[in-house]
Amino acid sequence: MTGLPLLPTIVVDFTGSGLVIFLSFMALRYSYFLVKLQPKNFIWGFLFYFCFAMAAFSISRGVGHILRIILVLEEQEALWHRLSPWSGGFNTLLMISVASATIYYHSGLAAYKAIRSEAEKLAEANRKLAETADELQKVNTYLEDMVEERTLALSKSEKKFRHFFENSKDMVYFCDIGGKITDINQSGLRMLGFDSPPEQFNLLSFFKDDRALDQYLAAISENGFVSDFEMELESSDGSARHILLSANAIFDKNGFMTGCEGIAKDMTRLRNMTDQLIKQEKMASVGQVAAGVAHEINTPLGIILGYTQLMMDDFDKTGEVYGNLQVIERQTKVCRKIVADLLKFSRQSGSAKIEIDLNEIIEDVLAVTEHYLNISHIQVSRRFTPALPRVIGDAEKLRQVFINLFNNAQHAMADGGEIIVTTSHDPAANEVIASVRDTGTGIADDIKPKIFDPFFTTKEVGKGTGLGLSVTYGIIRDHDGSIAVESPVPEAETGRKMQGTAFYVRLPVAVEKNAINEEQ
Amino acid sequence: MRSPFHTLTILLTIILLLPAVNAWALQSHGEPEGLYVHQMAHFLFMGALAYLYWHTRRTTALPSKGWRYLRIFCFLLFFWNLMALTGHELSVLLAPEDFIDIGTWREQLAPPITFFKIIYFIAKMDHFLNVPALLALFISLRTFYLEARAEIGK
Repeated sequence: MTGLPLLPTIVVDFTGSGLVIFLSFMALRYSYFLVKLQPKNFIWGFLFYFCFAMAAFSISRGVGHILRIILVLEEQEALWHRLSPWSGGFNTLLMISVASATIYYHSGLAAYKAIRSEAEKLAEANRKLAETADELQKVNTYLEDMVEERTLALSKSEKKFRHFFENSKDMVYFCDIGGKITDINQSGLRMLGFDSPPEQFNLLSFFKDDRALDQYLAAISENGFVSDFEMELESSDGSARHILLSANAIFDKNGFMTGCEGIAKDMTRLRNMTDQLIKQEKMASVGQVAAGVAHEINTPLGIILGYTQLMMDDFDKTGEVYGNLQVIERQTKVCRKIVADLLKFSRQSGSAKIEIDLNEIIEDVLAVTEHYLNISHIQVSRRFTPALPRVIGDAEKLRQVFINLFNNAQHAMADGGEIIVTTSHDPAANEVIASVRDTGTGIADDIKPKIFDPFFTTKEVGKGTGLGLSVTYGIIRDHDGSIAVESPVPEAETGRKMQGTAFYVRLPVAVEKNAINEEQ
Repeated sequence: MRSPFHTLTILLTIILLLPAVNAWALQSHGEPEGLYVHQMAHFLFMGALAYLYWHTRRTTALPSKGWRYLRIFCFLLFFWNLMALTGHELSVLLAPEDFIDIGTWREQLAPPITFFKIIYFIAKMDHFLNVPALLALFISLRTFYLEARAEIGK
């Protein structure tokens, strides 16, 4: 019967001891890495000490076993017997060390758990913080994008409306509840006669008519708006402007009115043109009537005058009848003069037009009238432009025009004054302008539109027929010119309004094709 | 307030001191004492490993795979201890006559091959448990390290 060989156990023991030493040191290596990586981690510290004790135990035991095998097989049993207690003692000691290390594991784990829990809480808090920060970042980015987008849109919108505001040909304004203008465009400033906004700038102060102002304020406060409100503004230079105003009240969030905003369209030009058209139409109608009446009356008047003069031959010049016939003849002539004037106004009278110098025409008239004007303490100032372009006209009729204008000036200056006669050339319009300005009483605004009407006069009955300016108007129109009146008269240098009246006669300059033209 | 443990310790000390007779200050240590201490160390080691296994298993705060390998290590090394302890005991039980060619390559367990001899033979193969245990420990530590480094990398 054979025994059980122990060689396999020796081989396993030898090889296993080596492997155990190797593996225990590898574990120790990684435990060292862990401690280096996280020195404050208690668990890694425990594992390092545990692995250290295990490595020490493994080396003690493994080396002991290897030595035992080598020494016993080399028949050095005596030496092994001396080393054996040391090896066993170390083994025991190191096993106890490993076991002891585990004793501290419990408290170490508790600390680790606490740290881990705190770390996890911290990590969770950090994660939430990061999430919140991320969310905030997203919101911030979104808000930034939104703000940028809105700013861009707002900028575009602002630019659009600013462009509209600045370049509008109408007045666009914003004012507070008291009417103080807070913002106004350049057109508005120009309309009100300013280059830049003055210190005190109140819209309500420019209303010319108090009634219109009351209506405007009432509509704004009651309805919150006015639409196409026709009114007159008086600009800083005193000129009136016809305005078509649309305005809205501005309310705050509590519904209280804080001001208003509006757009005003300057209708002055349109209004003047309309007035002029109406006037021309009226004058044309009156002219037609006057022409009809004059033709009808002219013939009977001629017969009355003829028969009167025939009868005057039959009566003694010293007798009463003769005297009566003289009165009839004189009054009939007056009537014929009126009829002749009416025909002139209605442009029915004959006309011989030639190239003439307007300065000469005026000088001819002044040669006759200046003496009488001087007697009335009226000085005449000539401000003629030399080498004035010639005009096509009927010299006699044009003389009549200036006689009428000087007569009117004389009547306006009962206590004396000055007549300033000016001639000039407007190359842009290709017209010659003659103005007769007096320093008299002036013409009231309410009668200005009527002064060219036939038979309209401010003189006492019997002192004027009211045909002077009508005839003047008719003659100028017959010459394709225009006549305008200004009262009071603005001073050329300062623009200040001066008392008096100025008539401006504009006649077209003669050109080649407008050569002498005679018409009946 | 004093804890019951402290009160018990004080009372026990008093009781032990009251009947004191002769005191042998220096005690001699005989030959088997080293073996006993070694065996007790194995027991202590086993207890420590069992505790480490039990506690790491029940602790939910240790989710790492490294702890699983550490438990494998504990498990294997526990049985290695048991095997080594058995081997040590059997070394005492077996007499020199139970071996043939002792101290040579040809060393054998002499017939008849009894149960204890077979157990002794198996116990001598304890590295079949020890090596895998240390391998598990190595893998465990490596896993801990890689995970810790990855966590720091985040």
